[in-house]
Amino acid sequence: MTAGFFHECALYDSEDTFLALAVPFVEDGLRAGHPTFVACAEDNTALLRGALGRDDAVTYLPAADQYARPADAIASYREICAKLVSAGATGIHVVGDVPHPGVGAPWDWWARYEAAVNRAYAEFPLHGLCPYDTRTTPDYVLADVASTHPNVAGQGTPNPHYGAPLSAPRPDVLEQAPPLVELVDPTPSAVRGAVLAAIAGVRLDEDSAHDAVYAASEIITNGLTHGVGPVRFRLWADAARVVVATTDHGTGPSDPLVGLMPTEATQTAGLGLWILHRTCNYVSMGRGDDGFTVRVSVGA
Amino acid sequence: MRTSGVTDVVVGMSTSDHLCWSFDDFTDFRARAAEFLVDGLVRGQRACYVARGDARELAGHLASSPVLAAALRDGSAEVIPLESRYRSGATVSPNDQVAAYAEATSAALADGFTGLRVAADATALVSSPASLDAFCRYEHLIDRYMTGSPFSAMCAYHRPELADGTVEQLASMHPVSNARGAPFRLHATADGLALVGEIDRASRELLPLALLRAEPPVDRSELRVDATGLRFIDHHGLLALHDCARSHAATLVLRSEKSALARLVSILGLEDVECVR
Repeated sequence: MTAGFFHECALYDSEDTFLALAVPFVEDGLRAGHPTFVACAEDNTALLRGALGRDDAVTYLPAADQYARPADAIASYREICAKLVSAGATGIHVVGDVPHPGVGAPWDWWARYEAAVNRAYAEFPLHGLCPYDTRTTPDYVLADVASTHPNVAGQGTPNPHYGAPLSAPRPDVLEQAPPLVELVDPTPSAVRGAVLAAIAGVRLDEDSAHDAVYAASEIITNGLTHGVGPVRFRLWADAARVVVATTDHGTGPSDPLVGLMPTEATQTAGLGLWILHRTCNYVSMGRGDDGFTVRVSVGA
Repeated sequence: MRTSGVTDVVVGMSTSDHLCWSFDDFTDFRARAAEFLVDGLVRGQRACYVARGDARELAGHLASSPVLAAALRDGSAEVIPLESRYRSGATVSPNDQVAAYAEATSAALADGFTGLRVAADATALVSSPASLDAFCRYEHLIDRYMTGSPFSAMCAYHRPELADGTVEQLASMHPVSNARGAPFRLHATADGLALVGEIDRASRELLPLALLRAEPPVDRSELRVDATGLRFIDHHGLLALHDCARSHAATLVLRSEKSALARLVSILGLEDVECVR
């Protein structure tokens, strides 16, 4: 295997087709003497353990931990890969179940993850297999999977859909109600005051309440600094969760890594959005009919 | 305990308080200065009024207060034309000026007062970029002197005479200011600095400038910053503090009641930062 990230998806519609794609991938890694990881959901982990037998050479990582947040996943995989490479590894195999709405997780930030890792892992001799169950994965997610994986397991030829634009992020379910707060071109200080007042009745612990205020301050700052005005700030909440969003009339950042990795080159947008990606429950960023929207969800 | 915050009244300040007062109207300034000085007399401090004009004009500014008029006659209050107080002309020498006020405070104590209180219209001393820079450095140096001495001051600035952004730079170097000051205030404490207010996009340039001018004290390789009065700080502000500590080869010791600051330090992976409650 040559250096560089070999990123492929595996589309399956039964236990047998999952195993038919994943088992040879793992065995290839083991045969080559590469560190080999399985970071799958419980059901797929059980299937692979059963098929592979007792093999201490495979490292199992719980997907719930490894894929809690895309920015955490990137930081974790980059650390794992850097350690292994510096210890002499010439190849690394990972099978990882990326979460999506079919298993109850919001998708947009994972779509951006799948796009971003093509660069974020490019420096490592990493072979990554991303299985998606076509029985549970929504069509728009499958379209994004096709756009973000240069290779499709079981197909000998390069994926012709690779590089197509990502689907527009879906609004949060709370957005079906009118916003509790709506401000146009507010100062960050005014936004923080409005958020503090609006979340007074929401069940959030101290850290989560701060995360909501910080996120609101950061996304309005980001919109005012980099967006095309007017910049609209909105907030929705139920008893235990708050969603804040800013929409501007620009196109948003072109770099898919923004928010997912701490971009050292810029002390402006990158770092602030990255902090939200590491503290909040969900961050979506993307273009819709009314402009470029960053939305953040905090709470249960 | 020194006062810190934003105020619209000048009375009730302690004998070591340091207040920035920007104004549009001289009548208003003179009325507030008189209140501030009378309040100092009540606390046993010698009162000193510094402004542009000759001694007779300055006495006239305070004539509406019978208490001050009497104090001027018995010597517990004095007026000093700006030109003679700040001897070195339009650009102050920060150290010389602090030494002059320390000397005047000692003299007041020797004369039986509890200390010295000054109300000054310092507008003429900040009219050029160089003089503004020197005066902002002086403001922090005198603030540091005040933390341990019975000297209190109201530093007043006539807003219409000053370039945009000037009042913000000055207000950020005082523990107390009136409205339309700065989004945050940096002031001296017994063992370091304190930051009060909010630090966000509006302070992106103001905070590094204030830190540079404060030349904060580093003690046993620690820069101690009391952030308990900070309602908000973003990562830019935190990184500016971190840069400041690093430029002094010091560990940044941040005091805050909230866990948010410690979490931000941890997420950013900042080294040489200690968060304490």
